Amino acid sequence: MNTSPTKPPPAPKTKPASLPDVEDGDSFGQGSAVDEHTGFPTDIASLTPAQLYELNLGLFNESLPDRPLIDEIAPISELRAEYENGSPSFVQQISWLEGQGFHSIRRTRGDGDCFYRSTAFAFVERLIHAPNPDSSVQHALSTLEATLPMLKEVGFEKLVYDDFYEALVSLVQNVLTPDDIGMKLNPVRLLEAFQKPEISNSIVVYLRLVTSAQIRLSPFDFRDFLFHPETAEQMDPTLFCEHFVEATGKEADHVQMTALCRALRLNVDVAYLDGRRNDAVDFVQFREAKDQTKPLVLLYRPGHYDILVGGR
Amino acid sequence: MDARLRRVNKEIADCKNDKTSNIKIDLIDDSPFHLKGSFPGPEGTPYQGGTFEVDIVIPESYPFQPVKMKFITKVYHPNISSASGAICLDILKDAWSPVLTLKSTLISLQSLLCSPEPNDPQDAEVAKHYTTSKSSFDDTAVYWTQIYAGGPGPQGKKGKGTTMGKEPRDEIAIAGLERAHVEQFEALGFERSKVIDVLRRLNYRGPNVAKLSEDRVVEELLK
Repeated sequence: MNTSPTKPPPAPKTKPASLPDVEDGDSFGQGSAVDEHTGFPTDIASLTPAQLYELNLGLFNESLPDRPLIDEIAPISELRAEYENGSPSFVQQISWLEGQGFHSIRRTRGDGDCFYRSTAFAFVERLIHAPNPDSSVQHALSTLEATLPMLKEVGFEKLVYDDFYEALVSLVQNVLTPDDIGMKLNPVRLLEAFQKPEISNSIVVYLRLVTSAQIRLSPFDFRDFLFHPETAEQMDPTLFCEHFVEATGKEADHVQMTALCRALRLNVDVAYLDGRRNDAVDFVQFREAKDQTKPLVLLYRPGHYDILVGGR
Repeated sequence: MDARLRRVNKEIADCKNDKTSNIKIDLIDDSPFHLKGSFPGPEGTPYQGGTFEVDIVIPESYPFQPVKMKFITKVYHPNISSASGAICLDILKDAWSPVLTLKSTLISLQSLLCSPEPNDPQDAEVAKHYTTSKSSFDDTAVYWTQIYAGGPGPQGKKGKGTTMGKEPRDEIAIAGLERAHVEQFEALGFERSKVIDVLRRLNYRGPNVAKLSEDRVVEELLK
């Protein structure tokens, strides 16, 4: 797996792979050691990953059950405020991120699609702000086009993937080419598109299919990392992909993230905001772009991904 | 045209053009979102020779949410409710993926007929029958296929002089019981329908017969 040499990610089994699947409005606090008064754990370091996951999911979904699929950017101080009555280590880690220039976050709904949705959004948003949009868009389109033979090769039906592919490609094309009402894609319209379930979910599914195709077509790269998230049994690539990549609402873990970055040639940094240290935040790095492209940055909290805005 | 309608139209057209699979999808009324699927029972199973119809409802958020399917044709199978046709299959629930189509899902139902999973049953009584006595289960499934799905009936058991089609439905065979067992308790003065109901619930089949005393059965019959 291609990760930062200085900060090797934990082995696949110690991370959210061992966590249950994410669903909207999941049970907050079930089995968690939470303070009855504040709803926060008294000692975050003592929590199991599953408990941390539940704590966070509760925070996302209890406070805002109708969170949009993806939201406006918000100052990172708002996120910090949510932890101020509870976990000092989360607060310190958020302040550290702010000190690194990450001034805002863009939240996604905790529906199991958050990694794919965040990545897709950041991918298109980057094109809108590209210094040389012509070449960036052309590069993105050719990368996307190159995934079609992969999808075909692993046996997905064209009638299935065409619509999903078109949803993303038409957005990318719209960065340069006005659509039928004469408008180019801008940040406001990008957000609108990603908030429409039909477009947004189509793009998520397309990313899932690309991820699956990458894993199936290069089994030697991934087969040692394909574990059932609950039983920890090693799985056959096809079975793994059917159940934990293509199936709706299934969280992405390190394997899926690596595969997607490789297929779309992305550089992605994931900041691990997990309360396990208070002096800094660990970044897991995915480096699959051919050049030194600045990475897209996601914020991970146990069980969930958002987009981190700003940076070093 | 919205995504759901575009996708469903493509799927229906694809199924019509596919001459190699024997999966059929038809409209039930004017709506493209309420359909009827059908397929032949798989060869080499008790369902062979039957045609099985499935009620298909396409939800609002299809293909991001699973299609709703249940059997219209009554099926004797551990993972299908013998009463309602409800189906226990992971891809219709949490393992659904938008790559699945109506056709591929119907093919999965056909495969389900080949490989029952009695440990994850939809119909607990049928599952018990399956695990207690496979041969008796098979006989019952063949009989259901014959009377509900137009199957050929048991091979080599014909020749009684009457054609099966004219005979009244055999409630004992439908319940997967043996005539001698039912008659044994009828002889004690209980109504046939009551005897069938109790013996079916007690799973009075195969090695279980020896485990259930006559008194135990009578006790149930008297309740």
